[in-house]
Amino acid sequence: MATNNVKIQKLGKSILTHGVIYLLAFITIAPFIWMILTSLKDISDIFVYPPKWFPDKIQWNNYARAFQAAPFGRYYLNSIFVAVTVTLGQLITCSMAAYAFARLKFWGRDVLFYIFLGTMMIPYQVTMIPSFMVLHWLGWIDSYQALIVPGLASAFGTFLLRQFFLTIPKELEEAAYIDGCSKFRVLWQIILPLSKPALATLAIFTFMGTFNDFIWALIVVNSEHLRTVQLGLAVFRDRYITDWDLLMAGSVMATLPILIVFFFAQKYFIKGITLSGIKG
Amino acid sequence: MKKLIAVLLTACMLFTTCGKNKKQNENGNVTITFWHSFVASTIPALEDLISQFEKEHPGIKINAQYVPTGDALIQKLITAIQSKTAPDISWIHSDFLADLVDADAIYEMAHFIEGENGLSQEELSDIYPALMQYASLRKKIYSIPMEATNLALIYNKDLFRKAGYDAERPPQTWDELKTYAIKLSEDYNHDGIYDQIGFFVPVYPSSGPLSGWMTWQWIPYLWQAGGYIVNEDQTEVLYNSKAGVQALTLWKEIYDSLNLSSFTVDYDVAFASQRVAMSMDGPWNLPRFNNIMKNIDWAFAPLPEGPEKRATVVGGEYLVIFKQSPHPDESWTFIRWIIRPDVQARWAMKSGYLPVRQSVKSVPEFTQYLEENPNFKVFVDQMEVAQAQRPLDNFGLQITRHIAEAIEAATLGGMDPQEALNRSAEKSNKLLKSVQKE
Amino acid sequence: MNQQQYINRQHRKNFITGILFLTPTLVIFSMFILFPVLFSFFLSFHKWNMFSSSQSFIGFANYQRLLTDPEFWQVLKQTIMYTLGTVPLNMIIALFLAMMLNKKIKGKKFLRTAFFTPVIISPVAAALIWRWIYDPNFGLLNYATGFFGIPPVNWLNDSRAAMAALIIMGVWKNLGINMVLFSAGLQGIPDTYYEAAEMDGAGRWSKFWNITLPMLTPTTFFIMIMSMISSFQVFDIVYVLTSGGPMGSTKVMVFYMYEYAFKFFEMGYASAVAYIFFAMLAVLTLLQVKYMRTRSGYEGV
Repeated sequence: MATNNVKIQKLGKSILTHGVIYLLAFITIAPFIWMILTSLKDISDIFVYPPKWFPDKIQWNNYARAFQAAPFGRYYLNSIFVAVTVTLGQLITCSMAAYAFARLKFWGRDVLFYIFLGTMMIPYQVTMIPSFMVLHWLGWIDSYQALIVPGLASAFGTFLLRQFFLTIPKELEEAAYIDGCSKFRVLWQIILPLSKPALATLAIFTFMGTFNDFIWALIVVNSEHLRTVQLGLAVFRDRYITDWDLLMAGSVMATLPILIVFFFAQKYFIKGITLSGIKG
Repeated sequence: MKKLIAVLLTACMLFTTCGKNKKQNENGNVTITFWHSFVASTIPALEDLISQFEKEHPGIKINAQYVPTGDALIQKLITAIQSKTAPDISWIHSDFLADLVDADAIYEMAHFIEGENGLSQEELSDIYPALMQYASLRKKIYSIPMEATNLALIYNKDLFRKAGYDAERPPQTWDELKTYAIKLSEDYNHDGIYDQIGFFVPVYPSSGPLSGWMTWQWIPYLWQAGGYIVNEDQTEVLYNSKAGVQALTLWKEIYDSLNLSSFTVDYDVAFASQRVAMSMDGPWNLPRFNNIMKNIDWAFAPLPEGPEKRATVVGGEYLVIFKQSPHPDESWTFIRWIIRPDVQARWAMKSGYLPVRQSVKSVPEFTQYLEENPNFKVFVDQMEVAQAQRPLDNFGLQITRHIAEAIEAATLGGMDPQEALNRSAEKSNKLLKSVQKE
Repeated sequence: MNQQQYINRQHRKNFITGILFLTPTLVIFSMFILFPVLFSFFLSFHKWNMFSSSQSFIGFANYQRLLTDPEFWQVLKQTIMYTLGTVPLNMIIALFLAMMLNKKIKGKKFLRTAFFTPVIISPVAAALIWRWIYDPNFGLLNYATGFFGIPPVNWLNDSRAAMAALIIMGVWKNLGINMVLFSAGLQGIPDTYYEAAEMDGAGRWSKFWNITLPMLTPTTFFIMIMSMISSFQVFDIVYVLTSGGPMGSTKVMVFYMYEYAFKFFEMGYASAVAYIFFAMLAVLTLLQVKYMRTRSGYEGV
């Protein structure tokens, strides 16, 4: 009898938590669903007030039209190429820098770290023109380097990984040092495998940030063959006119790669890591 | 991992090589880079225009590059000028012409107009004077209009009939506009909020991207009441004069009696769903409206006449030639060609923009086109009463902002129009005084 | 070799390794981040319209003008309101979600993705639906609050409600970021800690307070600093949802700065704005570092 009650209570609780969390999830995802539904509407269905959720007739055609409005195939390749390169590069540079900040004690380390932190507090709107000038001095305007190289260092990424490395028990490394491992090998063979959730997080954020970047790509690139998806999407918006059907179709297409990466990277959160066997 | 890096490196090399072989100047041809911001639907018309030009000028190629409009265009121009990678020609909006001139980034057009391949006085005065006013700064011409636009009234004939109005006779005066606006408003469910709006007063946040759009639509009312933005020698603003108060009071009265602060839908969406009976818009929306509003009986009409006169405001895009350009003369050839009457006629019919020259109206195909497209004709006819604001030599952007703040304060903020305008005028005058001191 | 020498050598070795590890980041960082940051500091003492090639030195005039502009103080107040409104709310909900998703819940992959979509979708597209949600006449939000007898609110055109509307959208938009960060942080806590606590008979709350929160300190610190910075720098959603209106009631710091930079072309003034609020953020961050250090004694901050 008593155990039955407990079971019912547990079941009730589980249903409640599921209910709450699925409701929240629905509220947060609704705009995305709206976006997909809008991308399938005829333009006259979009211009309806109060708005309707579902299209009268599904217009797959919007996708074809959006795709043809500009060379989106090329734009896609560019976006993905740039985002993947920047992500890989940042994982390497940031984990090295983060390790130095988290584990190596050396003169000036903390000052340097605070400088890193401080630069994040200056909004990019005032730094983008001088960054652009540096690129110009290097002669890199209108090139892939312009899209990639500035993204290869990140104060955010360094900070993120440093914080994560700090949570890893030191005992593990000490054992390795005693075995005569170099710092680099410790980072590569011990720290990084343990940091998969953090690396996956950084990878998602970097990929997303680079893929979604508009303003930097806008100012450093002129040629058609270097343009990215986000620049392409701008063609659907004028000062006063927005081609909502095409913009929504284009936006859905631009969102998919990130969703795919997110799905892929998620397994590193779920699998997790068990640090059993380490003394607390 | 290693494989992935190898793939990336190859990709990198591939990408860069196929980028390089596209460079210009293959066989002595001159390539002109031209930045524009035409939306996807206008690009076919532009391509037609360019291929026509290239056919007529075998030595010149036009490389038209799309640059997103608004702030993006500005950021692009700033960085391009700083890095000496500016295009040969760019289209701009007249609001930041002053900054380009002050930076000595663009040619004064006299350089070309007075040249060999120039424009005669006749041709120059054939371009609508209002457009040339926007194209100039401190009495010198710095740009050439590529196309014209202006503002007209759009109304829903069905809703007119429902309210018992003659659908062929839109409001002619301010008073009629006011009474029509109220009579055409409906509260279907009697909850105190109008579900159908008689006239959409375009009030937007003065700090937002639509701020200029709001001011642009208000200025014709200021002119219709006989007002000006600034005095002749630009020492003092005049928009807070009696005319300004009249114009703003008209907007405020309609805004308040229709309770428009509770109406936050985009006006074009609302118009297309028959929730707005009258609104204002430009010719650029014609092709789109034809497409979206097939089931509605709608038409454009001239703006109602004000207490003093008829007036509307011109807009349009202006072409400038950069001093960094290695081919200024060829660039001028292109601009010179674009404003040829027959080219203008063809461009107007394909793009939906208005021609910049008065004589285009006598091009036979165009005359016929006007007869077939009465809505387009409303705009072309309205060019006769279209005005430009006296170009502000200094602080044009700030003064436009001040006017927007007054409009927002008087309508949304419920302030007295005179007080709202005075507050803004005080700020504007302070700026103008600071110039005089220098 | 005595001990002191050994330590010195160790430090020197650490210094060299440290620099080596930092080199790739430092080179790019100084070119594309540090130099621009310093350059904008230089600009804050100049007048520059960005089109011309030269800047004219005007000393502290930008700062002086800024501090005497009543609008600046209003904008500052509104930025602080936005930050106070979003950061705690966002962090609490995000931690709650991360912990829930760390448990036995069906459809974790879907749920995580769902909570992350707002982060990905373009602000322009998001604003379209949020404007509808906030519509005073047909909006979903007024419809929902109507059930609780709350009278309809004119969310976007009422100077008092607009900030709330912005905060709600801000929390929605960035929730996924902090959820992911907390998830990663939670993964780093060894299960053995919980197992040990369970053997000692610790309850759920006790585990949360004594294990989860302290172990999450470095993550929490990171999230707090980053949320604060990004709330102070909120721009996109303001631009697309309220554009600073009505009557400037949602104009926040970066919006104000952006206007001066790219609407009025006063880059010097805009840079001065950036540095004033850099100073404030820096002080806030240092205070947090101090607080976290004294409270937890943890070196992870």
